Amino acid sequence: MSILKVENLTKRYPGVVALDNVNFEIGPGEIRGLIGENGAGKSTIIKSIAGAIPFDEGRLIIDGREYTSIAPTEAIQRGISVIYQEFNLIPSMTVAENIFLGERIGGRFRVDFREMNRRAEEIFSRFGVEIDPGAQVGSLSTAQMQLVEIAKAISKDVKVLFMDEPSASLSVSETEVMFEIVRALKKDGLAIVYVSHRLEELFELCDSVTVMRDGHTIETRKIEALDRPGLIRLMVGRELNETYPERSPASAEVVLELKNVYGNGDVGISLQLHKGEILGLGGLVGCGRTELAKMIYGAVPIDKGEMLLFGQPVHLTSPADAIEKGIGLIPEDRKTEGVFIDFPIDWNVVIQCLRKISGKGVVNISAMDEISKRYISEMNIATPSAHQLVKNLSGGNQQKVVVAKVLATQTKVIIFDEPTRGIDVGAKQEIYRLMNDLTKQGISILMISSDMEELLGMSDRIVVLNEGAVAGELTKAEFSQIAVMELASSH
Amino acid sequence: MENKKRFDIGKIISDNVAWFVLLILVIFFGIFSENFFSFRNIMNLLSQNAYLLIAATGITFVMMSSGMDLSVGYVMSTIGIIGAKLLMDAGMPTILVIVIMIALTILIELLNTFLSIKLNLSLLVVTIATMTIFQGATYIISESKTITNLPDSFKYLGQKYLFDSIPVAVIIMIVLFLIMNFVLNKTYFGRYVYALGGNPEAARLAGININKMRYMIAVIEGLFIGIAVVLLIGRLGSAVSTVGVGTEFSVMTGIFLGGVSIRGGEGKLSGVFAGILCIALLTNGMQLAGINIYYQYVVRGLILLAAIGYDVYQLNRRNNMKKKKLEETREAKRA
Ligand SMILES: Nc1ncnc2c1ncn2[C@@H]1O[C@H](COP(=O)(O)OP(=O)(O)OP(=O)(O)O)[C@@H](O)[C@H]1O
Ligand SMILES: [Mg+2]
Repeated sequence: MSILKVENLTKRYPGVVALDNVNFEIGPGEIRGLIGENGAGKSTIIKSIAGAIPFDEGRLIIDGREYTSIAPTEAIQRGISVIYQEFNLIPSMTVAENIFLGERIGGRFRVDFREMNRRAEEIFSRFGVEIDPGAQVGSLSTAQMQLVEIAKAISKDVKVLFMDEPSASLSVSETEVMFEIVRALKKDGLAIVYVSHRLEELFELCDSVTVMRDGHTIETRKIEALDRPGLIRLMVGRELNETYPERSPASAEVVLELKNVYGNGDVGISLQLHKGEILGLGGLVGCGRTELAKMIYGAVPIDKGEMLLFGQPVHLTSPADAIEKGIGLIPEDRKTEGVFIDFPIDWNVVIQCLRKISGKGVVNISAMDEISKRYISEMNIATPSAHQLVKNLSGGNQQKVVVAKVLATQTKVIIFDEPTRGIDVGAKQEIYRLMNDLTKQGISILMISSDMEELLGMSDRIVVLNEGAVAGELTKAEFSQIAVMELASSH
Repeated sequence: MENKKRFDIGKIISDNVAWFVLLILVIFFGIFSENFFSFRNIMNLLSQNAYLLIAATGITFVMMSSGMDLSVGYVMSTIGIIGAKLLMDAGMPTILVIVIMIALTILIELLNTFLSIKLNLSLLVVTIATMTIFQGATYIISESKTITNLPDSFKYLGQKYLFDSIPVAVIIMIVLFLIMNFVLNKTYFGRYVYALGGNPEAARLAGININKMRYMIAVIEGLFIGIAVVLLIGRLGSAVSTVGVGTEFSVMTGIFLGGVSIRGGEGKLSGVFAGILCIALLTNGMQLAGINIYYQYVVRGLILLAAIGYDVYQLNRRNNMKKKKLEETREAKRA
């Protein structure tokens, strides 16, 4: 009773075997979790089945038909639908046009826009989501875009739906909406493959789980037969203690202070960050946290209000200014804002401190070597050499490169915007340990996180934003999911 | 909800900049040049620039899908010279020559696109090379001579008036424009052109054959540029190796002025219509005012810069306004 069967699938990239003789099978009405460490091959298997990339060996049997290669059109026709890890939307077109892209709604040549809008509306209302089908996608929030991606994926005649980390850009309440949609689709008899690094989601949603490691499918088990530590053991191939580091109390010294700051969509933000503290910033996606980070980092000007660094008012006019003053940013979007993905590790690590290590304008290669080697060993970056291109690293190791880049500039305040988005459990632990070590050295951290467990587990204090304003502050004793959610969504 | 429906004059102007610039130019010329509003003068102006608008209509498809073709000018020259030679030296019949000219242009544009796809280079880079090739070709084929006295039958399309009042070229232009406006806005193909410009990978994954799309766009471009050359040479009654030179810049300026985004995937053909007319009027006006040709170049360059700059400025302004509005509503809610 399988609707999709994958047999001995192999996919090679230069120097990497991304999929090595993979077998996979799923039947209708099943929600299957697909998990594995960064670089295990989850996205690659999905892309191969959907025809987004060609595979080298093996075959697919979709609904009884056999394929040794497949084009995107064929996959769509056979009922394969994918929500990719990265957005695949056209910002300048409307919501409805995006949803039905590639489909013929109307006559032989002519598009029927009214019918298109009507059908988009129908999909949204079926799931109780309110998005205007005529709005330009570029004007939507990230969470809305994700919902458009979902609508786009299920607008066709779908039999197997792949969801590659769909919750990464959603907060708790939106994730719930999505879960409801997924459960409804399961009732309609769809087979759903769900990829996520948030393990608790798998236990909430899935019937069974397939674990991948190093391009192999290791095992498939019923969810009832698994617990969290067991799942992690299967994933990383060893015992892994999942705990948040023990935090010692921060000092009373205020390092960074915002007084009634306006700008970039935020209104009247006031907060204090102490020395050696991890201050968590909670809130729904789009509540103005990243926008605030950009202002503190000097990337967007503050319109009104005051920012004090070690008690001194500062007016930053550029990120260069911020770096000079000891403020660092680990951006939300690693691939486009955090690293130069096509360049080597060492190049990335020193890019922000080139001036310091260069004599009279000429880069000092041996200093570059020394600095990058030091960080690679200190931070345990898994790579054959410092000259490896960043794009060939796994997500967790890419993130470590971003952190190394910031640390190399002698930072005192670091803003972590979603420090572990898309990062596997093992690497998460390493990032957490790293953050803890940094605060022990007296560095202060402002941590934006949509991952509730992480926010509660890592922060010393939490400030919750709601629609661009501070909704409230929680001390460690007051921490709870409900408390954060209430502040985040109250009106 | 009511907010959205509000009559926003600023937005109307910024969405239709080319039309407002055109209006200002028309008023300006109407005041300062005596016979400007005469039917004859307007028809004359349109017929002189019909080729430009037809070329622009084809090229808009390329620019919407975020490609840029710099070779247009020299391709036009080359085709013009070849056509003239076939008529005069080989003595071929007019119809056949027109068909050959258009077919050759399509072939050249297909070649540009083929190279761009196979070498995995942007059309811009490919056409920098082919532009230079055709620059040489046009001088070689023409031996740097002007070919004059083209037969009347060939000049018909470029010079003839219907009912003694409306130029044939203008009618062709309007018909082609209306057809392509429909194609771009209402058909799957047209929407795919936008999709290709907006995000080619998303288009590919949605099952759109993007290479086929690019070849089809090349055919459209070739067809329209081919027709443009036929009209241009026909109106002039002669061909020189420099006949089409600069067309790509006039057209690009008009297209950007018309609101097509340099990022691709955004814009309207009706805006292009107005944008091209602005360029036509300005060129005409500068000639009438006796402005030195080199100064005209300077002015055109400035206009191109202004048109692209305005596009980017618009984007930033829109983003900033959105932020400001958000801050206002949030502040109001907080209070
Ligand atoms: N275009 C590419 N070129 C070279 N190597 C690639 C390419 N795409 C993926 N890889 C490699 O293939 C392997 C599998 O990658 P894949 O993206 O499938 O991992 P994943 O399981 O989805 O990881 P994550 O959880 O980080 O999304 C990795 O080692 C990756 O570096
Ligand atoms: Mg992946």
